[in-house]
Amino acid sequence: MGSLLAAELLKVRKRWLPYGLVLFMIGGAAIVIWVGGYAEWHDQNDLQYRQTSLHTFAFPWSIPSLLDSGQFWGALFVGILVSSVVATEYNWGTVRQALIRGQSRTQYLAVKLAGLVLVSALSLLLALAAGLGFSLLATSFADQPITLDVPDGPSAPEVALMILRAGYAVIPYGMLAFCLAVVGRSTAIGAAGVMAYIIAESITLAIFNESGTFLHDLRDLFPGHYAQALMGANRIGTGEYNHIAFRELPVPSELPDPNVAALVLALYSLAFLAIAVYVFRRRDLRA
Amino acid sequence: MSEPVLRTIGLSKRYGRRLALSDLTLDIPRGTVYGFLGPNGAGKTTAINLVLGLIAPTAGHVELFGLDTRTHLTEALRRTGSLLEGSQAYPDLSARDNLRIWAALSGGATRERIASVLETVDLAARAGDKVRSYSLGMRQRLALAAALLHDPEFLVLDEPTNGLDPAGIREVRELLRSLAADGRTVFVSSHLLSEVEQMCDEVAIIKEGRLIAHGAVADLTHRSGVLELRVTDTEKALAALQALDWVPSVTADGRDGLVVEAPPERAWELSRALAEQRVYISEMRPRESTLEDFFLEVTGEEEKSG
Repeated sequence: MGSLLAAELLKVRKRWLPYGLVLFMIGGAAIVIWVGGYAEWHDQNDLQYRQTSLHTFAFPWSIPSLLDSGQFWGALFVGILVSSVVATEYNWGTVRQALIRGQSRTQYLAVKLAGLVLVSALSLLLALAAGLGFSLLATSFADQPITLDVPDGPSAPEVALMILRAGYAVIPYGMLAFCLAVVGRSTAIGAAGVMAYIIAESITLAIFNESGTFLHDLRDLFPGHYAQALMGANRIGTGEYNHIAFRELPVPSELPDPNVAALVLALYSLAFLAIAVYVFRRRDLRA
Repeated sequence: MSEPVLRTIGLSKRYGRRLALSDLTLDIPRGTVYGFLGPNGAGKTTAINLVLGLIAPTAGHVELFGLDTRTHLTEALRRTGSLLEGSQAYPDLSARDNLRIWAALSGGATRERIASVLETVDLAARAGDKVRSYSLGMRQRLALAAALLHDPEFLVLDEPTNGLDPAGIREVRELLRSLAADGRTVFVSSHLLSEVEQMCDEVAIIKEGRLIAHGAVADLTHRSGVLELRVTDTEKALAALQALDWVPSVTADGRDGLVVEAPPERAWELSRALAEQRVYISEMRPRESTLEDFFLEVTGEEEKSG
C-alpha cells in the first residue's frame, strides 16, 4: 500500500494544479488578514468596527476567521483538485492501465482517495500556516500581545480541534467532487458541479435562515448547515470577524450540536463515497 | 497437453441491441504467439477488454492460467502484461516516472529492470523526457515497456505495432518471437497480416463478433486445396486425373506442370493414380496462399473491395 500511495503522490506532485491552488489559498489568507483585518482596523474610527477587524487579523481570533474562510474556499480548492486528479485518469487512459496491472477497482479508488486526502490536508495546512504567519506579523504591527490567553481563548489542544473541525467540514464537498468526477468522468462535471453546489447552497441557506416558514427547517437537509455548526463551535467568545466566505457568520445558538453535525457530515461523505464505488466497480471501461 | 494460458468460454458482450461479441470460445496454448484477427469493428478490442476485466461480459467467462477471472481477476492480471490500443501514460511525467508508477502497481520493479525494459524498447536515450513530447511510435514503445515491466508469463497486445516504422515493427516481431521462445505466451491483435503470418504460430479470425476460423498459421495458409505438380507425361497425367471423380479440376501449367484442385490430404491418391498409368511425379507441393488471402476469403472482405 505504501508504494501505491507513493506512486499516487508522484503523479500529483508533478502537476502544477496543487501548487496553483495553494498559492490561491495563501492569497485568500492574505486578503483576510491584511485587507479584511489589519487595513480595516487601521483606517476605521468606529470602535465596534475596529473590534471586528481586530478579531479578524489578531492572534488568536484570527484562527477562526482564517478557518471559516478556509473551510469555504478550501472546499472549492479540494473540489477542483479532486475532480482534476480523478477525471484526467480517464482522459489519459491511465485508469485502464492501472486496472490491467492487477489493481482491484476498490483498491484503485482507495489509493486515489488516500493520496488526495494527504495532498489536500497538506495544502490546506500550508495555506493556514501562511495565514497564521500573516496574523502574527499583523498582530505585532498592531502592538497587540501574541498569546492564546484571551477571554474564552483556546488552549493549544483546542486550536488543534478547531483545525480538525474545519478540515472535517471540507470532506463532504471533497467527496461530492469525487463522486461527480467518478460518475461523470470529467473534470468539468466534478469541479463545476461542486462549485455550483457550494454557491447554490450558500444562497439557499442564507434565504432559509431568514425565513420563518417551513423553509427554516429545510436547512437540516443541507451539509452546509452542519458544516456551519462545526465552524460555529470554533468561535472565540461572541465577537464578530470579517471573512471572505460567501455566507453569513455562523451563529452557534441557531445551529445543530457539533457532534450531531459531525455525524451527519460523515453520513453525507459515506453516501457520496458509496455511490462513487458502486458506479466505478460496475462500469465498463472502454477506451 | 498443458492447460491453456487463456480460455474464453462462450464469451459474449451486448451493447444495447448490438451484439459486439458472440459466444467466443478459444484456447490459447502455452508458449505460442497467437494472432487475433478481424476487420475493423469485428470485436477484437471488445474481446481483449473482456479478457482483461475492463468490461463485464453479457454471457460466458474467462479463465487465465486456469483461474476464473470472475473471482481471481487481480491475481491473474499480475501474471499478465498488456498493451491496450491508444496511449495510456501520464503526459507530464517522463517515461521513467511512468514506469516507476506502473512498477508500483505491479508489485515493484528495480531501477535496473526499468532501465532494462527502456533499453529493450529503444527508449533509454529519451527516458527522462516528458511523454507529452513523444511521437506516436515512442508512446507505443513505452506502452510495450510497461507491458514487459513485471516480466509477465502472458502478454495481451492490442495492435502493438501501431505507429511504428518498419524497423520498429521488425523489432517488435523479433521481440515477441524471442519471448515465446522463452516459454511465454503472446496473444496479439493486429491489422498487419503479413506481420501476423511471420510472427504467429496460431490465429483466430473473428467477424461481426463471431469466430469464423482458427488454427495453425501453416494449416490455414495451406488450406487452399490446390496442388502444383510436375510430371513425366502431362497429357497422360491430365487424362488420368480427370478420370478421378473427386478431383474437380485439372489444368496444364507450362510444359510439364499441372494444377490440380484437390485436398492436400489426398495427395497420395493422386500419386497412386498417376503411377498406375506409369506417369511419375518429379515435384508436388500445395499452392502457397498467404494469410491475407485466407483472411480475405473467410471474411468476405475481398468481395466487398472488389
